[in-house]
Amino acid sequence: MGKPKAKVDINKCLACCGCISVCPQDAVNWFGGKAFVNDEKCISCAICIRTCPVGAISGEVY
Amino acid sequence: MNYDAIIAGSGPAGSVTARFAAESGAKVLVIERRAEVGVPVLCGEGISRKIDDWDMVTGDRWIAGRMDGARIYSPDKTCVTIGAEQAGNETGYVIYRDIFDQELARHAIKAGAEYMMNTQATGLIKEGDKIVGIIAKYFDEKLKFEADIIVGADGVDSKIGHWAGIETRLDPKDLETCAQYTLENIDIKDAYCEFYLGKEIAPGGYVWVFPKGKGIANVGIGILASLSESGMAKKLLENFIEKDPRLKKGIPIRFLAGAVPVSNPIETVLDNIILVGDAARHVDPLTGGGLTHCLEGGKIAGEVIGKAVKQKDFSQEFLSEYETRWKEAFGQKIKRNYLFKELLLDMDDKTLNHIAYALKDKKFDEISTHGLVKEVANELPISTKFKALLKHGSKIKEIKNQ
Ligand SMILES: Cc1cc2nc3c(=O)[nH]c(=O)nc-3n(C[C@H](O)[C@H](O)[C@H](O)COP(=O)(O)OP(=O)(O)OC[C@H]3O[C@@H](n4cnc5c(N)ncnc54)[C@H](O)[C@@H]3O)c2cc1C
Ligand code: SF4
Ligand code: SF4
Repeated sequence: MGKPKAKVDINKCLACCGCISVCPQDAVNWFGGKAFVNDEKCISCAICIRTCPVGAISGEVY
Repeated sequence: MNYDAIIAGSGPAGSVTARFAAESGAKVLVIERRAEVGVPVLCGEGISRKIDDWDMVTGDRWIAGRMDGARIYSPDKTCVTIGAEQAGNETGYVIYRDIFDQELARHAIKAGAEYMMNTQATGLIKEGDKIVGIIAKYFDEKLKFEADIIVGADGVDSKIGHWAGIETRLDPKDLETCAQYTLENIDIKDAYCEFYLGKEIAPGGYVWVFPKGKGIANVGIGILASLSESGMAKKLLENFIEKDPRLKKGIPIRFLAGAVPVSNPIETVLDNIILVGDAARHVDPLTGGGLTHCLEGGKIAGEVIGKAVKQKDFSQEFLSEYETRWKEAFGQKIKRNYLFKELLLDMDDKTLNHIAYALKDKKFDEISTHGLVKEVANELPISTKFKALLKHGSKIKEIKNQ
């Protein structure tokens, strides 16, 4: 098992698109007004987690 | 379906580009992934009165409040005032951004542009290396549109540029992550936009209070993503509101999250491709304001598209007139303010207080960052100048000379 992938809580996400803009792997996408992480591309770097202004992304922060 | 230009994104940059392209004879389609133009609002809604001269939005339904000036507060609350002291000489507006965007779209449609909502661009169509159109998703339907020019007006998380081969990913040190409450029932009577600086208040950014009249204000925060932790922007904003007796009793009627690119501009034209607005990183990196550049840049882009259609030349070389002209209009300002943003980041709260104290009795009569930036550069303590010189070479000189 690798590190857990980033996961967006769609009830908290306000679609600011910050996570999409900073993800180095182009792993986050906009879908129907929310952000979604593509597990296959995510390398668990946690940049999106730190960026989220409302704390909607979970995963591990180092 | 065939168009001269397809524009992804119906924000100000997209709609202004669409309008001026359509006015100069191009067949234009705007596609927008959201269900309604301008909704939800993701903006502080402050804009300079410069836009009066451009005549791009008509009437006054989009105006919430007319501003007499701005106040910038250092960490110890020393205040630097910018503004026309004489009444009636307002320096800017706080707007209703949804109505503003819809007005810009209305003008584009009047000029002949078509709009398709709920339509998300998902890729480019290529023949060999040549970009010939765009793939989009309309609910569950996959659509293909052919066009000679594809415009990326797709905002901070722009993908059009990325698909075409331009590096669009933002370094966390070049992104402000934001949150904002619109509060009712607050105790603010005068029409000044306020900015609060400080490492504890908003690391790498600021808190803003933009009054909309009738006891309503947008109270927001932007912090640098490289200094942020999960949920930090929202928490710091709530701390700020709790400590301000004028805002404390406010009732929130809107809460939003946002992201603003504060980077140097990127390449904005390729063969068959143009980027405008936030997608082109046309935001002032010091203030995070992007609206005026969207209008200026969008107009230039639209005019150049019109010319390209007439000449049937969609090469990077022909389209580069757009890049040359936006650089003339505001390229220097973005470069200068990017340097300044980095310099500001190195200043501790004590230095900010010192500078605010030195400037507090000066009169700045226009909301232009240029005059202010020069004065601040003059007031930097020797130690900061020295550190900056070691780290950034001759940045301060550059800032003062530009
Ligand atoms: C919290 C916050 C406060 C701000 N405050 C101010 C301020 O007070 N003053 C100021 O001048 N500026 C402010 N800004 C900056 C300003 O909002 C932006 O510069 C401006 O919105 C940029 O306009 P745009 O047209 O480039 O992009 P946007 O307005 O972001 O529009 C982009 C559009 O493209 C659509 N889109 C994206 N991808 C696709 C796709 N694949 N297919 C179809 N459509 C797509 C989006 O849904 C969106 O509607 C603020 C920004 C934020 C986040
Ligand atoms: S940063 Fe947070 S609020 Fe913004 S789009 Fe990503 S998950 Fe949603
Ligand atoms: S953890 Fe890193 S790679 Fe994964 S989605 Fe977030 S930013 Fe992208």
